[in-house]
Formats: sequence, C-alpha cells, structure tokens
Amino acid sequence: MSVDRTTVEVIRGALVYAAEEMGIALKKSAYSPNIKERMDHSCALFDPKRRLIAQAEHIPVHLGSMAFAVREGLSAYKGTLGPGDMILLNDPYLSGTHLPDLTLIAPIYHVDHLIGYAANKAHHTDVGGKAPGSIAGDSTELYQEGIIIPPVKFVRGGAIDPELSWLIRSNVRTPDVQMGDLRAQIAANYTGIRRVLELTEKYGAYVLHTSMEEIMDYSERRMRAAISEMPSGVYEASDYMEDVPGWGFAELRVRVTVEGGGISFDYSGTCPQVEAPINAPLGVTIAGIYYTLITVTDPTIPVNDGCFRPVTLIIPEGTMTNPRRPAPVAGGNVETSQRNVDVLMKAFSKIVPGKVTAAGLGTMNNVSVGGIRPDGTPWTFYETIGGGSGGRYNSDGVDGVHVNMTNTMNTPIESIEAYLPMRFLSYGLLPDTGGAGEYRGGCGIERSWMLTAPRATLSILAERTKINPWGLEGGEPGALGEYVIVKRNGEILKLPSKCTVQMEEEDSLIVHTPGGGGFGDPKKRAPEKINRDISNGLVSVEAALRIYGIKIL
Amino acid sequence: MFRVSVDVGGTFTDLVALNEETGKVENIKVPSVPRNPERGVTDALEIFLRGHTPEDVKIVGHATTIATNALLGQVDLEIPKIALVTTRGFRDVVEIGRQRRSEVYNLFFQRPPMLVERKLRFEVDERVEHDGRILKALDEGQLENVLDEISGLGVSSVAFSFLNSYANASHEERAFAMAKAKNASLYLTASTRVSNEYREYERTSTAVVNAALMPIIHKYLSKLEEDLRKMGVEAPLYVMQSNGGLSMAMSVAEKPVTIVESGPAAGVIAAAWLGELAGARDIISFDMGGTTAKVGTVRGRIPEIVPEYEVAGHIHMGRLVKGSGYPVRFPFVDLAECSSGGGTIAWADEGGALRIGPTSAGAYPGPACYGRGGSKPTITDANLLLGRLNPGNLLSGGMPIYPQKGREALEDLGDKVAMGTEEVATAIIRIANSMMGKILRMVSVERGYDPRGYTLVAFGGAGPMHVCALAEELEVKRIIVPSNPGMFSALGLLTADMFHDYIHPVVKRVSLVDPIEIEAAFRMMEKEGKDTLTSEGVKLRSMSFIRQFDLRYLGQAYELTVKAPDRVDAESLAATIIDFHRRHTESYGYSAEGEPVELVNLRLRAVGAIPKPDLKETNCRGKPDKIGTRRIYFETDDLWAETSIYERGGSWNSEFTGPAVIEQYDATTVIYPGWCVETDEFGDMILERVER
Repeated sequence: MSVDRTTVEVIRGALVYAAEEMGIALKKSAYSPNIKERMDHSCALFDPKRRLIAQAEHIPVHLGSMAFAVREGLSAYKGTLGPGDMILLNDPYLSGTHLPDLTLIAPIYHVDHLIGYAANKAHHTDVGGKAPGSIAGDSTELYQEGIIIPPVKFVRGGAIDPELSWLIRSNVRTPDVQMGDLRAQIAANYTGIRRVLELTEKYGAYVLHTSMEEIMDYSERRMRAAISEMPSGVYEASDYMEDVPGWGFAELRVRVTVEGGGISFDYSGTCPQVEAPINAPLGVTIAGIYYTLITVTDPTIPVNDGCFRPVTLIIPEGTMTNPRRPAPVAGGNVETSQRNVDVLMKAFSKIVPGKVTAAGLGTMNNVSVGGIRPDGTPWTFYETIGGGSGGRYNSDGVDGVHVNMTNTMNTPIESIEAYLPMRFLSYGLLPDTGGAGEYRGGCGIERSWMLTAPRATLSILAERTKINPWGLEGGEPGALGEYVIVKRNGEILKLPSKCTVQMEEEDSLIVHTPGGGGFGDPKKRAPEKINRDISNGLVSVEAALRIYGIKIL
Repeated sequence: MFRVSVDVGGTFTDLVALNEETGKVENIKVPSVPRNPERGVTDALEIFLRGHTPEDVKIVGHATTIATNALLGQVDLEIPKIALVTTRGFRDVVEIGRQRRSEVYNLFFQRPPMLVERKLRFEVDERVEHDGRILKALDEGQLENVLDEISGLGVSSVAFSFLNSYANASHEERAFAMAKAKNASLYLTASTRVSNEYREYERTSTAVVNAALMPIIHKYLSKLEEDLRKMGVEAPLYVMQSNGGLSMAMSVAEKPVTIVESGPAAGVIAAAWLGELAGARDIISFDMGGTTAKVGTVRGRIPEIVPEYEVAGHIHMGRLVKGSGYPVRFPFVDLAECSSGGGTIAWADEGGALRIGPTSAGAYPGPACYGRGGSKPTITDANLLLGRLNPGNLLSGGMPIYPQKGREALEDLGDKVAMGTEEVATAIIRIANSMMGKILRMVSVERGYDPRGYTLVAFGGAGPMHVCALAEELEVKRIIVPSNPGMFSALGLLTADMFHDYIHPVVKRVSLVDPIEIEAAFRMMEKEGKDTLTSEGVKLRSMSFIRQFDLRYLGQAYELTVKAPDRVDAESLAATIIDFHRRHTESYGYSAEGEPVELVNLRLRAVGAIPKPDLKETNCRGKPDKIGTRRIYFETDDLWAETSIYERGGSWNSEFTGPAVIEQYDATTVIYPGWCVETDEFGDMILERVER
C-alpha cells in the first residue's frame, strides 16, 4: 500500500522540523560558548536502517559525517539497544570527524518497535590531549589529541552511566562544561525522539516508514535529474595543503566522472597520510563531497540518503583523505575539509561554471587558547574566524563570513571579555584582501586580542598563508592569511600556519584571515563598484590604480 | 465619547470606533495608501467624522507596518543616510554580524543591505572594560572632529555604540550630549538607551535600526498628528508597540525600534482580551490574512513575549533564518508566521512536487478568481473550488468572483503535478493546513503547552475558514470567531494597555547578589516607569508593575525569564530559584539543582491600565438567516456535503451543528462536521467539538 503524496510531504516537513527543534534545545541548554554562542553542532534523524532521513541545516562537515558515525557507531550494538539508551562516541575512525566532536545517538522505539534514530554532534571546547582546546597544531598521532571514546552506552535506560562520566571528566580540562554540554546533547535527542513518536502515534509506523522510503526516492530522482543535466566527461583538479611536515605542500587530487545520471569521485593520487593533524577521516571527505554536490546541483533538494545514491566513491586508504589509525586528525574537518571543497569546486567549475564561485578563504582559522586562572581553575577558549567568500559570476564575494564546510557564529567579544582573560583590540574587515575581478572576492578579517592572564598556551591551525585562494575566469587570487604575536616589549613573532606556542601577559595575537578569489577580468569591473569600494575603504586608491587601472579625477 | 483605533494593513486600513456610552462599535474599511500610509488613517477618520464631531473622539489608537515596510525596502520609504560611531577597531562589528551565512548550501547568498554604509561608520578612541571600569577615556577632540565630518555628509541620524557600554554607558552618553549640543536637529541614538544588554552586535544592530527608522517614523507620526489636528481631532495618539502595549506617539518617535511588529501584535492582544471575556485563560491566536498566517499564544491572559527578533529577515520552516535580517533586542509578542494567506500561490517544483508560497498574489492581481489578470492558483482559488467561498461575490457583493478563472489556474497546476483539479485543490488546502499546523505547534507543543487545553481565536479574512481543520489537527476543542474577524486587530487596539519595559543587567551568581541592591534597582526602574506613565496622563491608581528575572545556570548563554518577587529578600529569592529549576525541567527535560544559578537581568514592565471596551449586547434572534445551500468538500471526512449557508449577524439563542457555512462582509466561517456553534451575547461565535 502506498501513502498519498500529501501525507509524505507533511511527514517530510515534520521530520526536518524535528531536527531543527533538536538544535534549538541543544543550543539553549548548552554551557560552552562554542555551542551556545557559535552553534558548532548539528542534529539529524535516521531510519531504522541507519540512513539519513532528515537534517537541520547546521554545520555541513558534521552533517555529512553523521551518517558515517551512525552507521559505524552502532555496529557493535546490534540488537542490544533499548529505549532510553544512548550511544556516545568520538573515535574519528568510527565517528567520521575529530575528537572534540562528540556524537550522541539515541534509538527511537515505539513500544518495542524500532522507528529510527535521533543523533547529534557537538564540538566540545576541550577533550584533553596535549593542548588546551584539543586542536594542537603539532600532533603526530591521534593519542596526543585527546580522549578517544569508542561507541559506549553513555545513557542507559534514561540515566547517565556514572562510571563513564567519571572517566570522561578525568580526561578533560573543563569537566563541568563538557558534562553540561553532554546533558544538552541528551536533551536534544529527547526532543527528536518525542517528535518522531508523535508522528508514529498519528500515522502509524507503516505509513511513517513508507513515507521515509518515498522521501529518499524523491531526493534521488531530483539528484539524478540534476546530474543528468551536467555534460558527461572526466574532470580533474588538484590543490595543496601547506606547512606539512615531511612534505611541505601536500596535494589533494580528485577526478570527477559524470556519466549516465551517475557521478563518481576518485581521490587516487592524493598525498599519503601525514604525521601532522591535517588528515581528514573518511567521514569528513565524504561530507565535503556531499556538501559540494548539493551546492552545485540544487540546494532545495531535501538532503537525505537518497541524494547520494547516484554517487560512487574511490578514496584510497592510507591517504590524507582516508587515513589509517592512528594518524592525527584534529585539523581534518576544519582545514583539509575546506581544501577538499576547493578541489571539488575547481573540478565543478569546468562542469557547471555558472554554479561555482572563485575560492573562498579556504581555512577556518582555528584559534585555541587556554591556561590556568590565578585561582587554579583551568580555562579554554576556541574559535574559528571567517574571511572572504569567492567572487561569483553575478556578484562580489561576501566580506568577513564563513564559507563551505562551516557556518559557526563568532563569540561576542563582550561575552569573552566577561569570562576569560582576553581583551580585544580589533575586529574588522581588511582592505585590499579580496581578489580583484569583475566581481571581487570578499575581504578577510582582522581580529586581535591581548592576553590579560600571566600565561597561556595558544594553538593555531590554519591554511592559505602560502598559497592564495584562487580566482576564476581571469579573477585574481585573494590575499593570504597571517598570524602574528606582538610581545609586550614590541617584538613581533610571525607564526606558522600550524603551531602550539606559549603566550605571556600583555602579548597580543593579531590574526589576518585570507580574502576570497575574484571572478572575471578586473578590467571589466564596473567603475561605480570600484568607487564604492574606495569610498568604503575596502580597496585602496593605490590598489585601484594598479589593478583596475582607473583614473581618479 | 468615542475611542477610535486605526490598523493600517497591506491592503486595507480598518477603523473601529467604540461608543463609550452605548458600547456600540462602528467599523470602517478603506483601501490603504502604501505610499502615504497616514492617508488611509485620515480617509477612514473622515468617513467616521461624517456622523460625529471631532470633539467626540477621546483617544486614537494606531497600529502600523510602516517600520517593517521601510526596512523591507518599500519604495518611497527609503532608509535615510545615517552614521554610526564606535570604539576604535570595531566599526565593522555591525557588518560582520555573527560571521554566518544565512543559507548553508547557497553559494550565492547575500547579506541584508547595510543600513549604515562603511564610509559612514566612524571610530573614536575610548575603552570600557566588561566590569564598567574605564580603561581609556573618551577622546573628545577626536569625537569633535568626527561630528564635524558627519555634519558635512548629509546625515540625518547618528547612532553611538561603544564596546561594553552595557556595563558603563557614560562614554555613550557623553558622545550623545556633545552631538546634541553641536546640532540639535540631528536624530540621535545611544545604544544603551535602546538595549542595555551584552553582545555587541545585537546591541549595535538595535541602535542602528533605531537610528534608521527615527527620521521616517518621526516624520510620519508628526504628519499624522498634524493631520488629526487639522481635522479638529485633539485626542492623544497612541501607537501599538511590538510588545503589545501602547505608547504615546511622541515617545515612540524617539524609540521607533519598539514598533516594528506593531500590526501583528495588535491581533494577539485582541485575542487575549476576547479570551478573557469568554472566560478562556489560555489562548492560541490564529490570524490568517492575504499573505501570511500568524499565530501566538496567550497563557493566563498574558501574551507570550520573546526578547529579540530579526526584523525584515527571511522565514524558513516557520522560523526566522538567523542572519537574514537585522537583529533588534526589544520584547516582541512572540509570533510564528508562515506564508499561507488567501493570496499565497501554489506551484510545482522541478521534481513535480506541489509547493505553497512564499510568493503571494497580494491584493493585486490577487487570486486567479478575482479576474484581475492573476493566472496563478492561490489558496483562495482552492477554497472557492471546494465550495467554501461564495462563488458569486465577496465583501457582501463588493467584489465579483470568477470561479472559472480559478478552476483553470488549478487545472494547469494539476497537469504539472499529475493531479486532478479537485485533488490539487484538496492538496493545496492540506499542505497549507499542515504549514499552519506546524506554526501552531511551534507556539504550543514546542513550548511544552498542550493545545488540547487551549481555545483557538480565529480571525483575519481567511482564519475562520481554516480553523476547524486546524483544531482537529491539534485536538483543540474550542474555537472563538469574533463578530468581525476582518476588523479584529483594529479592535485589539482598543483593548491594549500602555506598556514600558525596562531592563537592568546584573550578570552575577545568585549566591553573590545582595537582595537589598536588587530591590533598590527594581524600585529605581519603577520610579522611571511611573514618571513616564504620568507624563502620558496615566493616573497612579491605574499603574501596575511586573517584575521578572532572567536566570540561567552559570555557564549557559540563554536565560529563562521567571517571575520575580514583589519584594526581594533572601527568602523570596530562594523561592524564585526553586521555580527556575522547575521551569528548566519543563523546557529542557532536566535541571541541575546542585549548580550555581546566575542572575542575568532584572526586567520591569510598567503598565498603565486603560479601561477595556464595554461592548453592547447584540440583538438576539432564534437562528441566523439561511441564504441557501452549496456542495462543500470537507477533507477531514473526505466527503462532499450539501451544506447550509447562513448570513451572520447579531447573536442567536439556539445552537446547531456543522457542516455549515456562515458568511459575512469581512470573512467566511466554515463549520466542519462534528462541530457545534452558538454565540455569546456580543455576537462572537463559539465553536465546540462534539462527539460524532
């Protein structure tokens, strides 16, 4: 028996809405600024076969990889999960992203019948390891990056397992914050469970599951239709990660084959895994592929398992995009994931030119800092900083924004200063950083602060300090990023893109993030746009003369 | 004496006048004049004054969408040139916002256009720390230069927003005073005067929105007051604020950021009042007009309020998309909204799926069946095909209807989604109802309120047509349809009180606060409220004050607002904390009794009570007049039923059960099978679910 289309449509909306509601519950009851202010978390629902059925639009890198975590994380628990149980994991080789992302999965039972799963992933500010914030810039193996949690039954019959809780508390720097956030993650799953059970009561499990199949089939039909419109062929592209120990520059290479309504992605030729925290676990690489595919086809296609049925993946094991244990991975989802999208976009720029932008900043500019307060309590802070997005065939890139695999918010400066020993000096757009073009790239950001505690450990994990974000169709590349510590005595220390260093009181960190690449020939840029940029101080007169060749009257 | 209220909507301007002696209400509907919204007001008032003298008008209440329309970029309401002055190093905070893109998978996303261009954002040296200490004094010489520069740029309004000013506003105040001294004709906004909470982006944004609206609203309200005086109306003009309270026109002109959602708030306030009359404490208001449906909740007679809103933002899944509009921190009557109004267009997407909205055919060309050139099928066309609307005319003969045109539009759409014409009309209604069901759930179930104990108040031109199906979906058992659903928001203006909201940031662990200081802070705000209300002519005996705390567990970022004690001491404080733990469990499924609780803000609302309208009982008849029958489709039962059509008017002393349709000038009510209808003495219809 089939279900009428209107019911399917109503159920689809209700499932997406349930996932959105999960996110609100998580954010509102969370403790760490990373979740409550920056919304570095994601929520989704899965069918009993562990296939993604609905997601809230949060952080792309989480969402694509959550399907991986749900599939892998539950394998060990086949048949042994009951109502009120929840599985916690962060092992990157099972959960798909780095250790700070804790994934919590709850089965949804209606009486004794498995209806599906609610899951969420949240980035915790600290999970132990060698540096505060657990995103050290210089790890050589996974064990340095924090506590590794295999899939464990963290919640049993509705109650947190006290022994697991102790174990985690003992391994992290700010246990109260982490436990508060875990409680919020539990609250989020309860919200998802409640909504799905309401739907089950209303329509019955049969109608619900039949609708889920139809929802996935519908997305598959639309994705196939979108792929069929692409010209068949084989398209290759490559780009590089920088400051990689043992390699210098490490290549990411992809070959995209479009044929007969299907599409394949082959990463053969990508650099072998490295002894630096920039290996991307398989879940992260897949997340980048899914993200790119959705953006270059049709963002209105409901995102679920069906979208990805036309996709074939060839990602050789032992490479930077599918490493073997125990390669370190902290920067995989934040940095390599961005380069992965750059490579994919470069390939798609040859397939669907009107749907791809020039390269955005291509890094999340991860800043982790922490130390001990005078009263002996530890503190940690983590943030990512946006920059310029790439120029587009019809409009300039956006200034000072996050692109592609992340969409976290900034933490308000007034919130940071109220709770942490940091005093901000600037937060603004950087002129002359957007790549010139008929449509210029977005401008990067300057963000700087001074340490007001005696000392702290700072980790930087970033990219695009050596290879500029590329332009398209004759557009010029965006500006490089830069990380500098100004010591109290005025001495200037230029930091490499990946490092862990000590700071002392009144040292200042100045971050300049990259701009986006330009799109099209700068000579074709409309004069009124150049003038507007000059008057707004986003392009200097000198740069305008040099690049755009205009005369100022 | 008459109390007059005027609600200016997108299509119509509604005037409701209440005769205080007789309790009789007069309704006047005139077309709105989008380019000169005050014209709608004066046109309606002119008609009213044909039968009355200007001295008969005691007060004028007003709801307006002018602020929203200006921010949405309506022609002729262009945002004026404004400037912003910030702490050195931070002029771009307002542009970067929360550094997030509003649509994750859309590479072609845009920021909303900046209300203040970068070249008009200036920086001065000054720095206040988070605890209010001054780290660097305000450089007045620099500020002087900045003000000089601004005066040569044709700027009409200036906002000041300094970092951490919520902890110490002295630099902002000094800058404000210097600017005022320099040029008394400039409109000025200090961020802490419109929002004194932490989070620099949201506070600055609120200040900038205020600065952008000031010249427009000031001009509009001055013109309106002037026009009223010219007509001889000397009565005071009050404007509905987004928080559901009225304020004097000239106070609003200083703080226009308070009236952004003026119009929709009036509807919720009206529903709260009607519910009280009908003895219903807990209400869901359901307002379905031409372009959107809006819902809100009233619990224990008090409309639900949110502390922040993004104005002119996009709506997705019934919620505002973060980063798509301009954040404004001011209490807003909490409305959920979806693009499901009578004029909302149904269409087929690339995958052959049926979609509804967000585009609306608006008042012009309107639904296909209006025969004004619209060819796209709307919710109204679907309702017409299914027999719910009068196929001859609407507005009591005021508007002819062309059913064939509506049918053709639906047929075309049916071809695209492989459905028959009736099937597609039914599907449109079901999808629209599911969208509206979702927003109704958002304001009820999602907040942990069981809708089964609530009363739905349905209004707007289309609300009473859909309300039974929605009540079925939410298992609501009682519905009220006011006597003039299409004029109900205007009536709401006559029922509102005067409000002024104050906030005092504390941000301290409860265990460390001194109850004496808290009590003193509340009293200080009460005095301010009392002074303002007094200046607006409110008598002391009509004033009351509502105290609230914003509380959270230390470390959280979002607060729960709970009732604060009328007299704060150690004991009452402790009791409030117990209440907070309970509320947290209700909201999030857990509480953490052992953990420290932080007192973030004190909130005070000063209320100036305004006497509620004393409505006159209507003429009572046995039953409404039956004017015919029609075949009507009821999707809840999947049946076409030959249904009696009645003409509404007055009250009646017998009850009858659906199916039935009750037509009137400004709305059509569809009573579904299984629903029983009667009226109260004022002519409001009460629908109750009966066993079948």
